[in-house]
This record gives sequence, C-alpha cells and structure tokens, in this order.
Amino acid sequence: MADVAIVSAGQSVFTRSCGESIRELAFEAFKEALEGLDITTGDIDASIICSAPEYDKQRSPAGLISEYLELTPKPSFYVETVCSSSSTGLRVAWSLVKSGLHKMVAVIGFQKMSELSSRDAAERMGRGADIIWESPFGLTMPAGYAMYAQAHMDKYGTTEEHLAKVRVKNSHYGATNPKATYRKELSLEDILNSEVITSPLKKFDCCANADGSSCIIVARGDVAKGITDKPIWIVGLGAATDTMTMAGRELLTGLKCAQEAARQAYKMARLKPQDIDVAEVHDCFTVSEILAYEDLGFAKPGEGVGLIEDKETYADGTIPVNVDGGLLSKGHPIGATGGSQIRTIVRQLRGEATEAQVKGAEIGLVHNIGGIGQYGNVTILRR
Amino acid sequence: MTVLGVPILEGLYPSTMDLYPLQAKEFNRIHPFYENLRQNRFTTTKCKKCGNVPFPPRVVCPQCNSDDLEWVDLPTQGKVLRFTEEVAGVPLGFETPLIHALVDLGEGRKFISRVVNCKEGQLKEGATVKLAVFDIPAMIVEKKGVMDEVPRVFFAFEPVK
Ligand SMILES: CC(C)(COP(=O)(O)OP(=O)(O)OC[C@H]1O[C@@H](n2cnc3c(N)ncnc32)[C@H](O)[C@@H]1OP(=O)(O)O)[C@@H](O)C(=O)NCCC(=O)NCCS
Ligand SMILES: [Zn+2]
Repeated sequence: MADVAIVSAGQSVFTRSCGESIRELAFEAFKEALEGLDITTGDIDASIICSAPEYDKQRSPAGLISEYLELTPKPSFYVETVCSSSSTGLRVAWSLVKSGLHKMVAVIGFQKMSELSSRDAAERMGRGADIIWESPFGLTMPAGYAMYAQAHMDKYGTTEEHLAKVRVKNSHYGATNPKATYRKELSLEDILNSEVITSPLKKFDCCANADGSSCIIVARGDVAKGITDKPIWIVGLGAATDTMTMAGRELLTGLKCAQEAARQAYKMARLKPQDIDVAEVHDCFTVSEILAYEDLGFAKPGEGVGLIEDKETYADGTIPVNVDGGLLSKGHPIGATGGSQIRTIVRQLRGEATEAQVKGAEIGLVHNIGGIGQYGNVTILRR
Repeated sequence: MTVLGVPILEGLYPSTMDLYPLQAKEFNRIHPFYENLRQNRFTTTKCKKCGNVPFPPRVVCPQCNSDDLEWVDLPTQGKVLRFTEEVAGVPLGFETPLIHALVDLGEGRKFISRVVNCKEGQLKEGATVKLAVFDIPAMIVEKKGVMDEVPRVFFAFEPVK
C-alpha cells in the first residue's frame, strides 16, 4: 500500500473578481481544507505555495501566506510551473513526506488575475514562452492551442462541432458546481456562435481568467489514518517537460509532456488507462480535453472525438472526465487549478461530490498542464 | 474593475516589463544575431567541429560541446504551413489581427513566427512569406550617470507580394 495520502482538500469559490488580497484568498482554501479535521496549524510541518508570478504585486508570496495562515516558523517555499504549479507542489509534498523529512505538508495554490485586464494577463502569460525568441511575437496560449486544434483537424478530421461538444458537457456539469465561475448550461449553438478569438477557437472554446485558491493537505500514511477514516492515497506521479519554444515541437496533434507523464504515473501505480474510474483533465481549451483523452490512453490517437460523440466522458459513461465543469466552467486561476482538480477527485473517491458523483469510483486521475504543453503532470489517486 | 496602470514615476524605467530582448553586447553573447538582423540577414550559429546548425543560435554546440562556432545565414523566405489570426484578447502592446504562423524555411526547419503587414483574411496556407525587420522601442540605459538610448530591431515574416 502506498504510504502518502491526502487527508483533506479545499478550494475557494472561483470567480472573475474575488475582491480580496492574495493572503485573504489563500485563506479561503486553507479554511475549507481544515474544516472538520482535528488538527491545528501547528501540526503542519511545511507549506508549499504555488502560483505564477507577476499577476499581483507580491514577490515571494510564500513568506506572506505562511505568516497570514499562522504557519510560521515552519518552512514555506514557492513552487511554479505556471498552470500546473499546484500539481508540482503536490509532487514536492509527496517527496517531502516520503523521504521522512516531514509528516504533514500543505500545498496551497492561488492566483488573483482580476487586478489585470485580460489583455494585460495575456501579456503576462506570453512571458511564459521563450522571452527572447517567441514572447516578442505576442505568442499567446489561445494561439498556441489553436495550432494544435488545426493540426488535429487536418490529421484526424476533428471538427469545430466536436470541440464545442466538450464545452456542452463541461457547462452541463459546471452548472451544478457552486465553486465554478460559469454556472450556465450552454448549447451547441451558443458555443459555435460565440465570437472568434483565434481560429478555430471561439470564446466558449476557451477557459477564462479567474481568481481562486486551493489547498491540499498531504500526510504520512499512519498519520493520515489517525486524522481521517477516508485517506486518499497518492499511488502514481508523473511529470515531464517539452520544449519551451513552440518551434521545437515535434508533434502538434498531442502533448508529448502529457504522454510521458501519463506513462510514468501508470507505471508507478501499476495501472492502465482502463482502470481509471474518473478523471480531471486540463481543458484550458476544448481541444485540450480531446488531446488529453488520447495522451492519457483513454482513446487511441485520433479517436478522442469518439468519446465525446458517444458521451463516454459524461458521469455515467465509461470514463467520466471533468464532471465538475472543468477549467472551462470553473475558470482558470493558474496556480490554484491543479489543487482544484485534485480536490474534485478526492471528493469523487470519497463519494462526497455534490456535483455529479461517479458511482463507486475507486481510482481517479488528474492531468494538469503548464503553458502550451511545456509542463505535463499526471497524478493517480486511490481510495 | 481592473487596474490599467499608474503613471511611471520620473526617472524610473520599468525595465522588467519590457517584452523585447536586451540586444546590446553587454547583456548577451548572441548579439551578432541582431547586428545581422539589421542588415536583413536571418542567421544562426554553425558548429565548425560537427556541422550542427541549431536554431536559436548558441554559444556552445549542444551536440559536441565545442565553442568553435561561426555565424551562417538561414533562408529569409518560407512557406506558411498553418496559421491562426487572433482577433480578440491579444496581449497589451499588440494589435489585431495578431497573426501567428508555422513557417517552413526548408531543410526540415520549421519556425513559429508572427506575420505582419497582412490584413485579416488575406493570408493563405502555402503562401510564401519573407523576413521583415522593424524597429522596436530603444533601450534606455545609464552608464556612469550618462543616459543613452540603444536602438533595437526585431523580426517577423510578411507576405511576399
Ligand atoms: C477567451 C479570452 C481571450 C476572452 O477575452 P476577452 O474577450 O478579453 O474577455 P474578458 O476577459 O474581457 O471578458 C469579457 C466577458 O466575457 C466573459 N468571458 C470571457 N471568457 C469567457 C469564457 N471563456 N467563457 C465564458 N465567458 C467568458 C467574461 O466573464 C466577461 O463577462 P463579464 O464581464 O460579464 O464577467 C480570454 O478569456 C482568454 O484569454 N482566455 C484564455 C486564458 C488562458 O489562456 N489561460 C491559460 C490557458 S493554459
Ligand atoms: Zn558540434
């Protein structure tokens, strides 16, 4: 049996504008994570703070948040892989506990994006590309993924309607998620008729910037069992990178970093794609969810659209995906997103999901990507 | 409500928010790239030992670790393999349409670039594009109390008319 477990997971409401400072925002998730647990802040041996820099003014937020949550004098530090920062934080927390250095670690992700206009935020995101060679072109996430979408369409005949069906599903579940920014069901027409952002992606093919925080508390197995009768075991961890420059990419029909991270995670967990009962994937754009189906082995390359066509990724399908609404409904507060995905799987495996609950889910998977396919993270959890 | 910015205080230049590379020789070792670019040349480094021609240019060959490199010219024309016209949400400092293209420069060399001097709906897959070099905001520097401006250029591709 694996010996590192998640004892608790919390998140703030994700919203376009939280009206709080980052320390207050981080506290929301921390508060939810601690609710109902018989522990005090003194029991937490270290905290890992995860976000992407430059969206708010604070530099070195770890010290600030550690003080505000009364976690001093315990160690606290910052971990960043843009959109997958908190999955990377979980990976580091696992290592800290597994090594015997700490018994309990809090992974806190946050992002406050509402201080900036969306064009200003796009400029910050653009700096997550190669700052000498590609950022100066004004390269953006939507544009990068639009190229992936085109490549997938050219090679496999994927259509804009296929992509829209991903948002139809995710908006359906988002409508039931009280933590989601967008809680309105969207029809195929709504999505297909939304304004073009960068062809073939339209507004509703894209996730929106949001404010939010997440908190995952990880503990050594024996400690976890003393705190909760429903520990969720971390059984598979995979992480990989691809080139920072888009020009260096071999493949535009899938994310190599995700394929490699998935291979590692399945191997470590001794599991196969067919063993997964419920998954959270990084649907920063509708096409990203289709790529994820294939990169994770839920479908063969080019056959991902079949899963959405046949509604196999709905809650009662063979492989339910993003039944909390995904990034498309929840919004994407960069550093908080991975933690929110993990929280959803924890609730699913505990049978405590208030949105759609996948019946009898035992094994769950989280796929969290940083940048335009630069950082791939796959985590497998088990009850 | 979002914050659009505050007036820059006198004497303070927000250098970390500058999106363009520091091209002067004081700041990097591939400055000849920009000197060549000024002459409309698109260049990179070639390893004299093993013949490797990586792009972007290097100071040490990533294949054999040799630092005996020379500057060579890359083609300045290529074909558009695919492109996307970004018409909303483009980063501050850019105007719509912001056109991003995957350009084939031949010899198996593909390159993601911006396409300029091109109206929305004008570009086609397979179109020939050529190197376009343009001025970008100069770098304001200070040396021993003296302010100076270092001119800079950057590049993109543009349709061949
Ligand atoms: C798609 C995008 C370009 C739209 O930008 P925009 O048109 O400037 O949108 P704004 O942020 O100004 O929002 C305008 C309105 O549209 C809504 N909106 C924006 N994006 C939306 C989306 N994806 N879904 C639903 N509504 C959206 C906003 O809520 C806002 O409405 P409100 O004022 O009633 O709240 C922008 O949301 C974007 O860049 N998304 C991608 C973010 C990204 O790349 N993240 C990293 C991915 S890995
Ligand atoms: Zn060499």
